Amino acid sequence: MENQTFYYDNKIVKNFAYATLFWGVIGMVVGLLLALQFIWPALTFGIPYTTFGRIRPIHTNAVIFAFVGNGMFTGIYYSLQRLCKARMFNDLLSKINFWGWQLIIVLAAVSFAGGMTTGKEYAELEWPIDLLVAVIWLVFGANMIGTIIKRRTQHIYVAIWFYIATFVTITVLHVVNSLAIPVSLFKSYPIYAGVQDALVQWWYGHNAVAFFLTTPFLGLMYYYLPKAANRPIYSYRLSIVHFWALIFLYIWAGPHHLLYSALPGWAQSLGVVFSVMLIAPSWGGMVNGLLTLRGAWDRVREDPVLKFMVVAVTAYGMSTFEGPMMSTKTVNAISHFTDWTVGHAHIGALGWNGFLTFAVLYYLIPRMFQTQLFSRKMANLHFWIGTLGIIFYAVPLYWGAITQASMWKEFTADGFLKYPNFLETVTQLQPMYATRAIGGALYIVGILLGLYNLILTIRAGKFLPEEAASAPALTRVEGKRGSGEGIHRWLERRPVQFILVALVAILIGGLIEIVPLYLVKTNIPTIASVKPYTPLELQGRDIYVREGCYTCHSQQVRPFRSETERYGEYAKAGEYVYDHPFQWGSKRNGPDLSREGVVSGRQYKPNSWHYNHMMNPQRLNEQSIMPVYKWLIYDDLDISTTPRKIRVMQFLGVPYPQGYDKIANDDLMIQARGIADDLKSQGIQVEPTKEIIAMIAYLQRLGKDVHAAGMPTATITGK
Amino acid sequence: MLRDVFKSIGGIENYGLISMIIFVFFFALLILHTFSLKRKDVDDFSRMPLDDVSKESDDIQDI
Ligand code: HEC
Repeated sequence: MENQTFYYDNKIVKNFAYATLFWGVIGMVVGLLLALQFIWPALTFGIPYTTFGRIRPIHTNAVIFAFVGNGMFTGIYYSLQRLCKARMFNDLLSKINFWGWQLIIVLAAVSFAGGMTTGKEYAELEWPIDLLVAVIWLVFGANMIGTIIKRRTQHIYVAIWFYIATFVTITVLHVVNSLAIPVSLFKSYPIYAGVQDALVQWWYGHNAVAFFLTTPFLGLMYYYLPKAANRPIYSYRLSIVHFWALIFLYIWAGPHHLLYSALPGWAQSLGVVFSVMLIAPSWGGMVNGLLTLRGAWDRVREDPVLKFMVVAVTAYGMSTFEGPMMSTKTVNAISHFTDWTVGHAHIGALGWNGFLTFAVLYYLIPRMFQTQLFSRKMANLHFWIGTLGIIFYAVPLYWGAITQASMWKEFTADGFLKYPNFLETVTQLQPMYATRAIGGALYIVGILLGLYNLILTIRAGKFLPEEAASAPALTRVEGKRGSGEGIHRWLERRPVQFILVALVAILIGGLIEIVPLYLVKTNIPTIASVKPYTPLELQGRDIYVREGCYTCHSQQVRPFRSETERYGEYAKAGEYVYDHPFQWGSKRNGPDLSREGVVSGRQYKPNSWHYNHMMNPQRLNEQSIMPVYKWLIYDDLDISTTPRKIRVMQFLGVPYPQGYDKIANDDLMIQARGIADDLKSQGIQVEPTKEIIAMIAYLQRLGKDVHAAGMPTATITGK
Repeated sequence: MLRDVFKSIGGIENYGLISMIIFVFFFALLILHTFSLKRKDVDDFSRMPLDDVSKESDDIQDI
């Protein structure tokens, strides 16, 4: 067979590599700012655009989709071409993928700072940007599948299977979780409410971890680790089992984010079982990676690329052990809502994704620039500072998490909460927060060193934009299965069929979990006293979403005595049926707010308290880490959106009376005046048209309906 | 209609059992498959990343 000459497109790889470094620094610096805001809340500068709730999504999205996302594209565009012995399918698609992705990132940052958010963690983008994401993602998929189809190899190497699973699953997750009805260009309501929204969101959230942060990086591991070690993967058989078991199991595990919540018990149990089972394939993968280096450990000591890889794979092993542990009800009762989750996420992001990305960059850049890495010493220093950074980041958070959880749960001998003031449990963590910030700063110093090193490498080398290669064309094998060829062998060379089978594997889990909840209404017992929000409360709720209050506050009381004592009745599925989106939150840097409005409850505060608190939390509690929200007092509420919001809600099944959209603003003003008058009687002058009035109305509504139903507080499990 | 089908399944807890059965079945087939692969094929596949056909960047050794 005659050899064909072709050229690998290195330029696109280079572009993605630069973007990775650029967004990596930005995303992590924003993270550092967030960490510092916990120590000095004044660092939100009292303006909306830099407040904690708005920049936290910038940080998480920048690190996940900008840093790790671009890193993934870098690694895939390089390895896919080489594994397929073919240039990327279409240069224009590559360019659209690159520039489109960067545009999305910029739009995301601007829109989050502006308060445009869906309020669903890691899926905060509003609908127009979501559409753009879908388009660009499909461009990436088309480009990848095109390349696979025109490849010059018979077999499709296992790394590519992971890339395919990434593409297929993220497409499904993104579409299903983003379904929403627009209210305006910048605002939409998800079609799901309450418990359903929570389940879909965490099915998405968990699998974004699985299929955006894990599978593509496992693919990278299966290519770059053998490359850097110059030896094949330890066991290819194991990698096959690893792949199928992983994608099959992962998709079920989402509900472990919702243990002890109002989600039906069977869904929670499924989540736990599959999460624990996940240890097996995850560790299979880790062992496969590490054993590849057997007999080459002397090289690991020398080579920074391998060093980064070893720590990355080890961090993968650690977080995939920790994750299943945190999914068991025993551990979850302690770890959930604390910074344990944050520590866990950072072992994954900084250790696994970050270090593997650096390994790939240190591997690729010298090769594409036909030179050697400028300084191996500096790369080693980066490695050590980075590792130290991870340790300083994670250990204090674990420590803090256990401290805080114990304080939340501690009772005096007389049976009262030992620390009834939530803030005490936050103040206790201040030294841990400070150490965590140092850890983060160290990690950033490491990146900057790496950046400097790579810039000097680039300066010293000469870039090779088109890399010549040659290989014989692929002899067309019959599409049909040959005699003696197993089904999987056949699949392994048929990309489209392979995609379909992978799709089925991931859909089974998703369907079995989500469909019943969707169809069987009886799974969500309705509570007669739960009524739709008034127009003013609805507007207030949207401000709550806009400001990202959910990044610090939960709305989900778990059925423990320590929580019902502190907050009030535990959460029922039926109380959230009008919540588009749900706002259960995932961590508690401030107290749970779902019982804030229960007048006879422990947490109840008068309107004037809320006014003063939003204006300046530190004046009421010197130690508070809550940001000031002054602009709510200066800014007018935009009531022009009310009729449309009511109509969209009606469309989604919220039972406002027919034609209510036309009179909703009258009701809104009546309620607003009531609150303004009450504030006036307390000596606070504020017009009823200000945003703060809507926010107070919403906070005062929280928990009222369930309380009115007189639900018993019985059946409480444990502390 | 679908709703009725799901309802008629009764105890929704069965989902756990059903899913486990699906998984175990799937997993057994998978293991069977991997062991039926020929040794030579497996070796060839696993060498794919090392089988570099590029002319230039090949000789850049690790630093
Ligand atoms: C950086 C984390 C953070 C963010 C963001 C945040 N809070 Fe807080 N919040 C706290 C902390 C800590 C406390 C407890 C100390 C205090 O009362 O200030 C608190 C307390 C509260 C309380 C009093 C709860 C009680 O019963 O004692 C309310 C109400 C509240 N926050 C509402 C909000 C709203 C509304 C938003 C969004 C506009 C918000 N918070 C955003 C951290 C935060």
